[in-house]
Amino acid sequence: MDKILVVDGITKEYPGRMAVSNVSFEVLRGSIHGFLGPNGAGKSTTMRMIAGLMPATSGTMTLFGETIHPEKLSLKNQIGLLPENAPLYLDMPVEKYLALVAKLHGVKKVKEQVEKVMSDLSLIEVRKRLIGNLSKGYKQRVGLAQAIVYDAPFLILDEPTNGLDPQSVVELREFIKKLAQEKTILFSSHVLPEVEQLCDQITIIHQGKIRASGDLKEIHRKFRQGLVLKVGILENEKLPDLSELGKYEITHEHIVGQEKQYDLVFENDLDCRSDLGRLILGKGLHLLTLQVESPELEDIFLHMTEQKK
Amino acid sequence: MIYILWKKEVESYFSSPLAYVLIGLFSIISGTFFFNLLVTYTDGIQAIPQHLAQEISFVEEVVLRLFANINFLFLIFIPLITMKLFSEEKRLETLDLYWLSPVREWQVVLAKGLAAFTLILSMLLMTVLFPLIIWGVGIRDFSLLGSSYLAVILNACCYISLGLFCSSLSGNQIIAGLLSILGIMFLWMLTWGGHLNSNYLVAEIFSYIGITSHFERILRGLIGTQDIIYYISFVFMFGFLSVKSLGRRNW
Repeated sequence: MDKILVVDGITKEYPGRMAVSNVSFEVLRGSIHGFLGPNGAGKSTTMRMIAGLMPATSGTMTLFGETIHPEKLSLKNQIGLLPENAPLYLDMPVEKYLALVAKLHGVKKVKEQVEKVMSDLSLIEVRKRLIGNLSKGYKQRVGLAQAIVYDAPFLILDEPTNGLDPQSVVELREFIKKLAQEKTILFSSHVLPEVEQLCDQITIIHQGKIRASGDLKEIHRKFRQGLVLKVGILENEKLPDLSELGKYEITHEHIVGQEKQYDLVFENDLDCRSDLGRLILGKGLHLLTLQVESPELEDIFLHMTEQKK
Repeated sequence: MIYILWKKEVESYFSSPLAYVLIGLFSIISGTFFFNLLVTYTDGIQAIPQHLAQEISFVEEVVLRLFANINFLFLIFIPLITMKLFSEEKRLETLDLYWLSPVREWQVVLAKGLAAFTLILSMLLMTVLFPLIIWGVGIRDFSLLGSSYLAVILNACCYISLGLFCSSLSGNQIIAGLLSILGIMFLWMLTWGGHLNSNYLVAEIFSYIGITSHFERILRGLIGTQDIIYYISFVFMFGFLSVKSLGRRNW
């Protein structure tokens, strides 16, 4: 997959404050790229710079090989942005608002395009209503509709599911997956399982600096630092010495019902489950659980954003 | 593009009660001014002998005073219209919608200015009733009516451009409105300050920078090139400053 967006060492400095510092990452064509970070990490600033709403103090950003700058109009129809606060005119009806956005972007068949987007996002029933009178969920859908109504190939969605009810979250997630079949999406969220579910690439930003970026599986692998195995035996049994399988450490031990579970980290990173199973069973113990443990994205996220403070 | 933006703004004005309230208020107040001036004029000419009554000019006593009063009303009405144009959008971050699309700052400024001008014209349209009433009561002296309209329209253009600039400076409507009012008052005071100054050159400079001397000349039909240049450069300067102010986000 080729790189659609290349962010190279961008910095945004305000008087007396560095919002983002030397941020670099790449977004591949056709991917949903998760952009993670705690509040105030610099996510929105970075996304706004990529969307061409503000310039970087230094560094470069290219989209489809063209340098991004707020004054460059040629990229405006290529980027759709749903910012944290969607730019909604509360005194306008939904349909008129979307038609305005489509016209501003020079869409030829405005009526058809607006109709299609309203249908895709289930906005038909509220088409004549003023945006200000809609629920939070509908407003968010209108916000997303304005980002896609001119059919931009690259979408930036800043916490699109924030504040929505569970039903709307599921619907919106499904819609984003559908969008990703045709578009490339840079997506930020606080809901880490959601990112795991949707994204194949991620970038973690903290205090304005990139902590990790790349393929989600690769980041998982890098973070693991050794093979983690979960082993469960009966509560009254004792785990034998396993050092013949390699150097290991018990990182966690707890009881679940009648089972005692151990998290074992083997430094050699080799999957020794069959030998481990044989060894435990050979000692006459009852092996109840034996599995490879993958760290949750949440663990990685917390590790990246806490340890490096 | 400008048409799309202008249409959005005008529809926004007329889809809310604000435009109708402003037009209604403007009509009532200017109508009251007109009625009082007309009554004062008719009482005046009835109170003196007929050969002297001809000396009292209807245009001077009613038309010019009425348009001077309309100019005074603009001190409040135009800042009320322009104060929200950018500050409200800045507060709600809706300007992002324009900056995400292939629209230039000058197009947004021009469209918003034209939309505000459209609303002012709608207000002035109500005053067209006054000459009709005068016609109805048998007065046929309509000299200087055209130049009076031109004078208030040109002043309105200046106040709108000033108001747009003030609105682009702040995310707070009240501050933007107050800045506009102070700005307009400053423009008036410059001319008055010029009159008070004994130094001829200083007085002339003040008088040229202030808006009142230009307004009064055009009101009386004395339309000079310097006045036209003044109005055009004023509108361009504040339009340009508004564009630059909006462009600050690119710094």
